[in-house]
Amino acid sequence: MGIEKAKSGAPAAGHHDPDAQYLASLLGEAGALGGLPPIPGVAGSGGLTNAVDWVVGWARANSLWPLVFGTSCCAIEMMATGASHNDWARFGLEVARASPRQADLIILAGTIVEKMGSRLITLYEQMPGPKYVIAMGACTISGGPFYYDSYSVVKGADRLIPVDVYVPGCPPRPEALLFGVMKLQELIRKGAWRNSLTPRPINHSPIKDEMSETARLWEEKEKLKQEGMKEAQERFKAENPDFKGVVIKRIAAPKFDEVARTVRPARGVPAADMLAILTERFPALTVQNVPEANAEKIAALGPEYVLDVAVGREDYLPFITFLKEDARLRLDFLIELTAVDWKDRFDVVVHLQSMEKGHKLFIRCALPHDVHPEIPSLSELYSGANWHEREAYDFFGIRFAGHPDLRRLFLDDDFPGHPLRKDFEDPSRVVKRPY
Amino acid sequence: MATEQGYALPPGFSLRETRADGSQEYFLNMGPQHPSTHGVLKLVVRLDGETVIEVVPHLGFIHRAIEKMGENETFVQYIHLTDRMDYLSSHINNLCVCLAIEKAMGIGVPERGEYIRVMVSELQRIQSHLLWWGAFGMDLGAVSAFLYGFKEREKITALFEELCGARLTMNFFRPGGSNADVPENFLARVKEILEELKFSLDEFEVLLTKNPIIRERTLGVGALSRERAINYGCSGPVGRASGIDFDVRKHDPYSVYDRFQFDVPLGKNGDCYDRYMVRMQEMRESIRILAQAMAGFPEGQYRSKEKASYKVPAGSYYANVETARGLYATYMVSDNSFKPYRIKSRSPNFSNLSAINEMSRGGKIADLVAILSTLDLIIPDIDR
Amino acid sequence: MKAYAVNHPIGDIVRSLLPAPWAAIANGALAVAVIAGLVTVSAIFLIWLERKVCAHFQARLGPTRVGPFGLLQPIADAIKLLMKENLRPRGVDNLAYFMAPLLPITGSFLVLAVMPFDHNLQVVDLQAGVVYVVAVSGLGILGILIGGWGSNNKYSLLGSMRSGAQLFSYELSMVLCLLLIVMASGSASLREIVLSQQGTVADWWIFKLPVAGFLAFFLFMISSTAELNRGPLDLSEAESELTGGFHTEYTGISFSMFFLAEFVNMFASAGLGATFFLGGFLAPQFGIGPVDYALAAVPGVIWFFLKTYFLIFLYMWFRWTFPRLRIDHLLSLEWKFLLPVSMANLLLAATLVTFKLIIP
Repeated sequence: MGIEKAKSGAPAAGHHDPDAQYLASLLGEAGALGGLPPIPGVAGSGGLTNAVDWVVGWARANSLWPLVFGTSCCAIEMMATGASHNDWARFGLEVARASPRQADLIILAGTIVEKMGSRLITLYEQMPGPKYVIAMGACTISGGPFYYDSYSVVKGADRLIPVDVYVPGCPPRPEALLFGVMKLQELIRKGAWRNSLTPRPINHSPIKDEMSETARLWEEKEKLKQEGMKEAQERFKAENPDFKGVVIKRIAAPKFDEVARTVRPARGVPAADMLAILTERFPALTVQNVPEANAEKIAALGPEYVLDVAVGREDYLPFITFLKEDARLRLDFLIELTAVDWKDRFDVVVHLQSMEKGHKLFIRCALPHDVHPEIPSLSELYSGANWHEREAYDFFGIRFAGHPDLRRLFLDDDFPGHPLRKDFEDPSRVVKRPY
Repeated sequence: MATEQGYALPPGFSLRETRADGSQEYFLNMGPQHPSTHGVLKLVVRLDGETVIEVVPHLGFIHRAIEKMGENETFVQYIHLTDRMDYLSSHINNLCVCLAIEKAMGIGVPERGEYIRVMVSELQRIQSHLLWWGAFGMDLGAVSAFLYGFKEREKITALFEELCGARLTMNFFRPGGSNADVPENFLARVKEILEELKFSLDEFEVLLTKNPIIRERTLGVGALSRERAINYGCSGPVGRASGIDFDVRKHDPYSVYDRFQFDVPLGKNGDCYDRYMVRMQEMRESIRILAQAMAGFPEGQYRSKEKASYKVPAGSYYANVETARGLYATYMVSDNSFKPYRIKSRSPNFSNLSAINEMSRGGKIADLVAILSTLDLIIPDIDR
Repeated sequence: MKAYAVNHPIGDIVRSLLPAPWAAIANGALAVAVIAGLVTVSAIFLIWLERKVCAHFQARLGPTRVGPFGLLQPIADAIKLLMKENLRPRGVDNLAYFMAPLLPITGSFLVLAVMPFDHNLQVVDLQAGVVYVVAVSGLGILGILIGGWGSNNKYSLLGSMRSGAQLFSYELSMVLCLLLIVMASGSASLREIVLSQQGTVADWWIFKLPVAGFLAFFLFMISSTAELNRGPLDLSEAESELTGGFHTEYTGISFSMFFLAEFVNMFASAGLGATFFLGGFLAPQFGIGPVDYALAAVPGVIWFFLKTYFLIFLYMWFRWTFPRLRIDHLLSLEWKFLLPVSMANLLLAATLVTFKLIIP
């Protein structure tokens, strides 16, 4: 796209130094180079203004100060580009500014999500012109690996701000980024945007349905391709009547033997003993997938088995309080708290571990499939549960009674619905996988 | 200013009334674009002069819906998404998903495959810590350290590239072993890297560890007691610096970690200095593990027989590993199909970051930067 | 008050061409132009040097693409900054915001007015040169303070408040170090101070005053690093904490003023160090006949620049080696360590001077 543009705009001479060509054109016929017209009404302005333009373009191209901006994986490769091995300082890029006011270039290193979109626009607007944007990596070009099924990723940063150069890769190597920078320098030197102080349009709403349009274009192209192929095939057949077909030889995949899995016994209190301790206090609890569980049945599940119990909503808080405080169990470490949407009910899943003894216990609690089912909060017991519960609220809409600060954690407050529910549909955001 | 950019601030989080001396508290927005938040984390800091009173993190600026996407990809396809969570421990993340699938389907791993897993994981840990060391130096103002860290890391990255063709998002491990065998000169390369690394680590100690400014800025800063750390679910170097003797490799071993001799470095106070020291020592322990693994590196197949299809029987499965940042777990629910019904990744950073308010209260802004740096945050791992 | 530039042979030529009052003005303008040109070119060279030195400290190459060895890099930066859009962020105090960048650069150029570059290369020689230097260098602090205040940004405000506290504190120990030399040399004129170091290398104040001289030089280097807002004491910028400190909101030419002032300031500060402690424009003499003769043949201005650049290299070395201090540590370093030590040092030097214990 951007790189393509740079190539097609370049003079036909090929790989000559654009600066040298430019200078030669200045010394020869004034204003001979296309795209740089003389000032209207000022006689002989072509060569002079071109010379000034050349100097300014040269300065701008060689002094690109990037903004310190990296959202995810690509940022590491961007840093690697700045590090000793690749050293973008050679191109005058090492003055990375943390303040957008002093930056000339945003390297969009990493996925842009909807929540970040408005911030990105702000950053872009805060930069003084002329300003340039390099979209680094697949995510900022098109959404990349997060194109399908993702409800939050902006499918291409150029939906928000104008992008000058696209550097593909996931993540692109430092060399690729340097190449992208050199392409940008080329564009700037050629004066691609003479009046670059005028801001180019910013798109404030990244959400739009362009799938139908894309599909239509795709189909058209496919049709053309098919027709062309058909023609070529017929021609080929006519020219080579003896051709029988291509023999494809595949390299045989290496053959591997089956290997038995080594089973490591679970640490700490054995599952059967744990069940005994628990049923003694909470006789109503059941073990997941093991009806009418008893010590023998649990022991038969193997030494690796971690006890996975289901409790009722009334027992939930007392049960976990007991687990944390009982001296035999001491399940004091909350690994995670999440939920599963079973379409007819929600399971709140809690994974606990004992730091002293090392055993784990998985707990689940079924909730009705309401808009906002409610369950007691664990944040009094485990400070870490605070965020886990906010996450579950965000993703599933489960309310946690007694939570000190129940707000959405990841998504914007005005995000419609709870995305990890199975009935979540948002065609304006989600592009469904076509296969 | 009870709300800020449309975000409701938590209850009780509002500007205090002007005090008797005319002074007033104020808010400072750090991030989402800020050099020391290492990505797009936003911290709303309530300040009294330069003293931090409260820190409220705002997440979700890189929430990419990986868990939802996982529900529409096959179990093996999910591996590549975990690369993009904690991209500095991508091998180890991949391993965790593989472990869960292996557990569900009863797939074994040959000896050589296990050794490859351990060696690659430890190399990954070292390169992650090297990057952290550099970033730590830069956050504290020693910019050169950043480049020294990267210089060493680049060697390991080059080795990974030879191994699996990628420098960052590896997608290398598969259920039953790995995608490919190690290159021929792998052991020699690792040995060379380790020799150089030992020398550089000594240099690093001289440059930052023994530097009085670093000691002054980290000792006693951002302390987190053992009880509070457990309560917040802190793990990895952050938890161990607070004195939690918990390392999945040691206390819940996976792969063949139980065959190797290594120590789990522990801190006492849980301050920035302890977190720093734990990571520095962890790199040396990783070198120890690698040396042992190299000595016993077996011949044979690197992968067990591939399944015709990865249809996971119904049920829920859990596997955990120790990434460079702590306890990483995969919890997957299957309804007897090729795609997970629900897949959830427990990221260590998520819990570690939740303790930041407690750590940074009463410190200076500069302390907050030091704390963020020693938490070694990877924001996409938190947001997923 | 003697204007030495006026006594230069070029001054005589101008005098022969113009009537007396006009000649004085022309000579003054000529001297200002020479110094300003010299220092501006030097500052641009310093920007290049800093990037190269930093790169080589960090196992990199630094700028290589623009001109030979990347020498044109700062020029490209300068042109780009001049051609950049000059934004006025919402809510700034117009006067403060646009005036602030001019103050630091004015202050640092004013310091250069009394700097003796050579025997005959000095714009003006004030009897109270040291007092003047201390007074005008305060303009820089003022610029940072009102710039941070006028920007309507919390980061800027924090940065400027930090730098206010820092610069006022460190001014004290720096002045005490300079005072020590004034006391020892018996003059507050910068030219007189240089001339008081005539003789061999051992006659430079850094060596001439046993212990006290070296200690004063050491303290001067620390406190001037703080005065310059350079790492490890660059708390007002503190990129990893405050994104840019006092100049967070500055763009284009306003920012380049701050940027240039930093380097002119560094030059002025290192020049002061060279003048006070390393014999200024005097050639180093070792008491070995032929060597001394050869060294003395080199013009004084070259010696001045060599010494200044050596000190500048030290500043760069500090910056790219040490981590940054925290604001309270920084202030306690000054008030609890540097200030008492420099006071004690002043006392020691006073004793030495009184009892004539100076190395002859």
